[in-house]
Amino acid sequence: MKERRTGRVRRTAVEYRPPFLVSGPREALTPLARRLAALPVVASVTPGTGRPSLFDRRVRPLLSVTPERNAGRRALARTVDALGGYETFTLYDVDLTPPQLYHLGHALYPFAPVVGRGPELCATEPAETVDYATPPLRVARLEVRIAGERRGRIPPPDGRLGSVRLGDVTLEGPEDDLLRALVNELARSDPDILLTQGGDSFDLPWLYRRAAACGLTPAEFTLGRERVGFRPSRPARSFESYGRVLHRSASYPLPGRFHIDRENSFLYDDAEIAGLVDASRLSRLSLATVVRQSPGTCFTAMEMAQALSLGAHVPWKKNRPEDFRRGDHLVQADRGGVIFLPPVGVHDHVDEFDFASLYPHIMVRKNLSAETLECRCCPKSPIRAPGLGYRSCTRRVGLIPRALAPLLARRLAYKAALKRPGIPTEEATRLKRRVKMLKWILVTAFGYQGYRNARFGRIECHEAINAYARALLAALLPEAERAGYSVVHGIVDSLWLRPLSLDRPLDPERFAEEMSARFDLPLGYEGRYRWIVFLPAVTHGLGVPNRYYGLYEHGEFKLRGIGGRRHDTPVAVRRFEGEVLSLFRRARDADGVRALLPQALARADLFAARLAAGDWPVDELLISHRIGQEPEAFVTFTDSVAALRQLADAGARRGAGEFVRFVLLDRESRSFRHRVRAAELLTGDERYDREAYLDLLARDAETLLAPFGVDREMLRRRWDVVVAPPRERYRSPERPSQSALASASVYEGS
Amino acid sequence: MGRTAPTYRQALEERMKRWDEFARLLTTPEEREAFELVRTGARRYAAQATYVGSPDLLESILLSVLTDLAARLRAGTTARPSPP
Repeated sequence: MKERRTGRVRRTAVEYRPPFLVSGPREALTPLARRLAALPVVASVTPGTGRPSLFDRRVRPLLSVTPERNAGRRALARTVDALGGYETFTLYDVDLTPPQLYHLGHALYPFAPVVGRGPELCATEPAETVDYATPPLRVARLEVRIAGERRGRIPPPDGRLGSVRLGDVTLEGPEDDLLRALVNELARSDPDILLTQGGDSFDLPWLYRRAAACGLTPAEFTLGRERVGFRPSRPARSFESYGRVLHRSASYPLPGRFHIDRENSFLYDDAEIAGLVDASRLSRLSLATVVRQSPGTCFTAMEMAQALSLGAHVPWKKNRPEDFRRGDHLVQADRGGVIFLPPVGVHDHVDEFDFASLYPHIMVRKNLSAETLECRCCPKSPIRAPGLGYRSCTRRVGLIPRALAPLLARRLAYKAALKRPGIPTEEATRLKRRVKMLKWILVTAFGYQGYRNARFGRIECHEAINAYARALLAALLPEAERAGYSVVHGIVDSLWLRPLSLDRPLDPERFAEEMSARFDLPLGYEGRYRWIVFLPAVTHGLGVPNRYYGLYEHGEFKLRGIGGRRHDTPVAVRRFEGEVLSLFRRARDADGVRALLPQALARADLFAARLAAGDWPVDELLISHRIGQEPEAFVTFTDSVAALRQLADAGARRGAGEFVRFVLLDRESRSFRHRVRAAELLTGDERYDREAYLDLLARDAETLLAPFGVDREMLRRRWDVVVAPPRERYRSPERPSQSALASASVYEGS
Repeated sequence: MGRTAPTYRQALEERMKRWDEFARLLTTPEEREAFELVRTGARRYAAQATYVGSPDLLESILLSVLTDLAARLRAGTTARPSPP
């Protein structure tokens, strides 16, 4: 707890051991209770009755089991599950953490303004309050440098600390003194949040490592407000999300403070502290959890809170298999939103309209939730998913709509507040961050309906939402035409429209309002484009739905799917893109863009000439790749594999989901040493592969300018790039048993 | 994300792999160009075909190709009419 007036922080301890629930047939529960009561890890077992599940209509017998220690909660739950042969018992509230349960059971939440102390602690406003005083948090940046090393290079394993920066203070000196000085500085400035760039993977483990090497104990060297061991609370791991393999570093929380590692946080860059605090309040999860987890975790926590407030409980393992259905039904149901192929080329007078949070709004309006879909109580419900016929309950509001409605209202309230004239910049930034955070949470709310592990998800909801969205867009098209528009492009919840006749100006704001009223869903007018370019696919030349760039009349660009939006594009190529865009900024309409094409090509030639001269700074040529699998698993010898092998040689191993950055030296080389140079090993005087970078430039220029007839081949000829004849990717004859990394010496000397 | 059935676009691309075999025995450039038109036509109305969600893939492909051809015929051109 932090006292607002003095800024003092103190700890309040309350003993709290929440029970979990077991439901099952009475004849199985009675012996179970007897058996559990005899176990030393069980504090108490109380029989009772209730409706633990949202689907329950009748009262069931229950056991309320309290473990002796909170840490033994999960182990005890596993025992119970095993005793029931994994099928007799259903367990509830097992994996909610005691802090979460305490917050919910006592109407408290993280960052709540409170009065009283101990068990009498009481929040002075509900968590859902929209307009609240920002909690007084002191933030300090923490950065560690190793003696004699540039940051970003691989430090030697016994490297000593050179300096540590904390907030505005830089500490230097002999390592031993330095570490003690850091502890003193922490005590003096007493920050609540330590902000690092890579703290989980580098700064904190390195500090702890050196502290241990200097013989300091956790009692002498503490970065939090409480003593804690020198080990991470969670080891590093790789996982898959939305088709990408991601990596999460080990996490080093600091009890009594918060540690935010920007590199280890999906949400920080978008939401910043204002957004994270908001999410923490709403989800009842600690900031330390929110910052390291996905928005989905926040939403799940909010669902759990909602379930508990409805008097239901949270099932431990979801046990709801998909219903059997026919193949043709699956083809009908398992579809996404409407996605058109845009007309390739440059267009002007285009108005863009977007539905705000369309899917969450549909879930609320149509009452879509696992327990309200196809309910038994409303066989005649008029709310039916178009084409699929799934009914929604008309008697009770579902869990998901209950959880979403306040979030949607909150987002609208923030957006409305942002439009207030004369709003202070600081306040505006804070609100924007909160809006961004809410947006992420709302996005996952939909995705989690179709995710097998989602606690309250149900695939039929996912399908129903898509069905409503498709029908909505289909109904919107004739309305747009009636209003005098022709449809240029549409993706799920966005429409690009152009007036049929330019002599008759249309009022887009009014159209948006009318449609919002007509469909009872908020359609917003995003703005008019001076021009917008839809880009073709290289393979078949038709438009790609999500690849375009355009300039709004209010002077902002909207860029999708072009090089600068991809993380593997080197800075040099990004610069080229930036120059082309700032050139096109001058164009007032489509003809203006076309007229600027010769100048854009001249710019490309200039870049090509400088690249070909061979003196482009190599750090602008770094290409970064996310590693899709464990380094040992690679069979094909690629640029990334070469870089990984170099790093491994230098003692730096990378895991799946981490990034590897390198400069291309000789793309044709089959030696990992000569093909690329890893970023961490750059000396600055490398000779890069000119042809390869000219080719990258040509590829990017083609992406941007293809609708104007520019293609890669033409540019290559123009720049005299000799491209080696395509050849089969090199694969070792020993595959698949061997891996490229383990035996990279095979490639040496070849 | 919970997707069991292939999308129309995936199913189409899968089917078109078989078409490569067909194209292999086309002997004149005119025929090959015409075949490319058919291929483009098949891809052009993917949004509309997805919207129908017909279990009959070929029905959707044929509708897409025929609509594309009819649109070209009306416009009197082999150039691409502007979709959608």
